[in-house]
Amino acid sequence: MKAVIINGSPKAQDSASELIAAYLQARLAQAADCSVCHAARYSRDEIMRAFTGCNALIFVFPLYVDGIPSHLLRLLDEIQNSVADVASGAAVYCVVNNGFYEAHQNAVALELMGNFCVRSGLRWGQGLGVGAGGMIAAAPIGRGPLKNLGKALDALAENIRNNKTADNLFVKPNFPKFLYNAAAHMSFRAQARKYGLKTKQLYDKPRQ
Amino acid sequence: MSGALILHDLQQSEAEQFLPKDTAKYSLFAAAPAVRHCMGCFRCWFKTPGRCVIDDRAADFVALMSKHEELIFLSRLVFGGLSPDIKAVLDRSIGFVLPFFRKLNAETHHVPRFDISPLYKYIFYGPEITDREKETAKKLAVANALNLGSGRCFVSFFSSSREGMEALT
Repeated sequence: MKAVIINGSPKAQDSASELIAAYLQARLAQAADCSVCHAARYSRDEIMRAFTGCNALIFVFPLYVDGIPSHLLRLLDEIQNSVADVASGAAVYCVVNNGFYEAHQNAVALELMGNFCVRSGLRWGQGLGVGAGGMIAAAPIGRGPLKNLGKALDALAENIRNNKTADNLFVKPNFPKFLYNAAAHMSFRAQARKYGLKTKQLYDKPRQ
Repeated sequence: MSGALILHDLQQSEAEQFLPKDTAKYSLFAAAPAVRHCMGCFRCWFKTPGRCVIDDRAADFVALMSKHEELIFLSRLVFGGLSPDIKAVLDRSIGFVLPFFRKLNAETHHVPRFDISPLYKYIFYGPEITDREKETAKKLAVANALNLGSGRCFVSFFSSSREGMEALT
């Protein structure tokens, strides 16, 4: 089988989506010809060439303003009428991660992707909502705080290999919400310091 | 604080012809031609709070939002959500809220940067909008309004941009 993973993070590197994409690619490598395309770095034509003949299109992206990042949305909008011509019968799988603890906040983005499938004539495979995205770089996927994420991605990879459709899953992190929120706030303060700002300056109001 | 800010994705000629001209009541922001996409650096939170570091016209959108009590998104409906042009402006405007978290309706959301609670109006247009897409759009508006510091939103659908604009006045 042939599968393409589309990394929909606008970040050039070091994104949670990149880590998830690499994990999935490793899980699919033995059973599939599986490549990763970075949507922000590839042209629409390059991506359409990569999609040609695919059985599975796997979109991995961060939640942006409750939806799909605009560069990826633009790509989907542009290819909706032609993608089924090059990847006829392909199933779409999707992993959306967000910075809040609750995975279910990704549900609307999965619906948007489902609607893309209906418009483009592709088949919906399965969606995964992943909360606490800030932790994904903190440990190897499948271990410790990311144990449930590993299990969910393994199940998704199994469904992709078997060309199966399954219910969407929302992954509960293996650590408590208060700890995640405290760690996130610490990292916000650290990032402000990196740019020479004090925490209180993060509250500044911009002037036009 | 006054009036409504209309973020729209119309072509210039259409906007000039049909959008309201009462500048005391409405401010207009054209999402087309498209602004640059967010690059995910989060410097609008940590380096230049409230302002995107990409120096184009979208960088001032947060400041503009903060001066209006109503925000109107006049957008082609795409998969049950906002169009890429509108979304590009909004992705660049997360500085409207702070990075910090708060609990709201038993969920995590961002703390508002400004002491305002705007009404968000979504005017979606497009031919052959499906019921399924309408349902997604309503959920999106509720989620956006919460994450953008307000619980207030209103969603309507029209078969053309012209009809959507007429509903404004």
